[in-house]
Amino acid sequence: MKLWRRRSTSKPEGPPPGQLLPPEGVPIHLGIAGVGVRMAAQIVDLILTLGAAIALIVLMASLDLTTAATWGAVASMLFFFTRVPYYVLSEIFWNGQTLGKRLMKIKVVSNDGASLTIHALVVRNMMKEAEVFLPGTLLITLDAEEPLYTLIALIWIIGTLIVPLCNKRRRRLGDLIAGTYVIHLPQPVLLADVATYAAASSGKKEEFTFLSHHLDHYGAFELQTLEDLLRAQKSGMPYETSKTYADTLAKVVENIRRRIDYADRVEPDQRVRFLQAFYNAQRAYLEQRQLFGDRRSDKHFDEDEVEETP
Amino acid sequence: MEATVDIRSARFREEREADWKRLEALVQEAESRGVTGLSFMQARDLAALYRQATTSLAIAREISLDKALLAYLEALTARAYLSVYAPQERLGGVVTKFLTKGAPQAMRRSWAFILLGFVCMGLGALCGYLLFFDNADWYHVFMPEGLAGGRGPGSTTEYLRGVIYDDDPDARGLGAFATFLFSHNTRIAIFVFGLGVFLCVPAIALIFYNGLMFGAFVALHVDRGLGWDIAGWLSIHGVTELSAICIACGAGLQLGFAVLFPGQRTRARALRDAGRDATKLAIVAALMLVAAALLEGFGRQLVQDMNTRLFIGWGMGALWVLWFALGGRTSGRGRS
Repeated sequence: MKLWRRRSTSKPEGPPPGQLLPPEGVPIHLGIAGVGVRMAAQIVDLILTLGAAIALIVLMASLDLTTAATWGAVASMLFFFTRVPYYVLSEIFWNGQTLGKRLMKIKVVSNDGASLTIHALVVRNMMKEAEVFLPGTLLITLDAEEPLYTLIALIWIIGTLIVPLCNKRRRRLGDLIAGTYVIHLPQPVLLADVATYAAASSGKKEEFTFLSHHLDHYGAFELQTLEDLLRAQKSGMPYETSKTYADTLAKVVENIRRRIDYADRVEPDQRVRFLQAFYNAQRAYLEQRQLFGDRRSDKHFDEDEVEETP
Repeated sequence: MEATVDIRSARFREEREADWKRLEALVQEAESRGVTGLSFMQARDLAALYRQATTSLAIAREISLDKALLAYLEALTARAYLSVYAPQERLGGVVTKFLTKGAPQAMRRSWAFILLGFVCMGLGALCGYLLFFDNADWYHVFMPEGLAGGRGPGSTTEYLRGVIYDDDPDARGLGAFATFLFSHNTRIAIFVFGLGVFLCVPAIALIFYNGLMFGAFVALHVDRGLGWDIAGWLSIHGVTELSAICIACGAGLQLGFAVLFPGQRTRARALRDAGRDATKLAIVAALMLVAAALLEGFGRQLVQDMNTRLFIGWGMGALWVLWFALGGRTSGRGRS
């Protein structure tokens, strides 16, 4: 019996947040970039475009193309004409990344898993004009003599700040209209297979033997925790922590022995080899169960089964 | 390390690891040099290996409990996906397409919203005009001091005429262009567009208020018998500029309308659909504002004759209308 039922029956639009469905149909999980990291990228871009604009202004001033009276207007115009193409073009050329985004390792992707269209990039950067720069300039130029503008500006600034916090993908208004969102770029790092440690390190075979009743106690979560533990051992610990690490190993070995009813003693120098052997046996066993449709996510798998049978 | 491990998923990994490493290298190259920088063989391999990696990921999720492997494949597939599905369009083609087809078609599709923008501003102008003749003090209510530039019911007719036909060298050239581009009207245009997104009402109120100012300003000059002169002074850029504001308002209203009445779609979806045309309208409005600033910064000071000013202003308006009415007609018929 299900104790908890989903309240809403309407089908959500698209894949769940944090998951992207490419045309190949294999969902990919991607971390959604938060408001903070995006602001950092924005600030980097701002500095770059501002620098370019200042360089242009200095150039114009040295060529005597502008007078003192219109200096401010020309400056804001130049800033405008450097930043608008910068965002659109850089995101087109670098496939959804400005220089700031490259630095922060974040990236724009489209909602539906298809490739980014130029339309989407133009839209999200045009809305940036209304969402980021206009409130920004308004903040700088707030004028007490124009209460109407002040009020509108305040409402506007609050509105643009609230929108990204109100949806799960942290999309600002431009993202909503363009159908895009911003993700953390994943870094592919292939660590060695822990299962091969044992084969490489243990000289003699079959030091420990595990039977199927030994292996019926744990699920994938415990297995992968053990994987992390063994990987930490392999990567070489600093001297200070090695003592606590040895204690942890001892505790883990004892816990496992007690839980799976493993009768033989495990000597201190055998502990790592025991854990590796257990990891291999447990993984082979669990993967085999999984192939037969018995997916065990953690050690409570049998409780779920009891609960689900009516 | 080979052969001694008889776990199925470890063998699965050993057999494919070389391909994954190769894909990783290809992706890195594609990311740094762009997909166009790859050779034919490399591009072909990138696509093939990417599809292979997605398959590996799907299989690994079923058969493997190796956390490191799953995380790696996930990240690798994501990176490869991002470089395989990069935008393929050419920038020049997009600009031409926008000018010849996209923009005029979008204008025609959203005529109702643009009309609404014009109506709101027109009503505001009418109200302002009539209220001024009712009582000239209304002028001070509508018009902020800074914008009027010293012109008001208190100023003399000669002064008003002087401003209209003024050849001040300072008010010309690049500086003036920049000043006018970021003038009051551009701010209004951006405001009505942005406010329309949040809700329709403030955009309508703002454009109505802008109309009020406009109406009162015109009424002041008509009152002094300068009706045609101010028409010329305003027309030369105003036809383009005020239309741009109305178009921006139309775009904002379209977005606001999608938020208020999404129909069967979700609000985000409705906003995205409406955004297709609204952005095109906004770009058109931006182009028109730049054109208006050019006319105001250069044209108005160079051309001092009333009739020529009227002709240039309304001629520009006619050209805009021609573009919107006739552009993209031939091939745009079939699509909705």
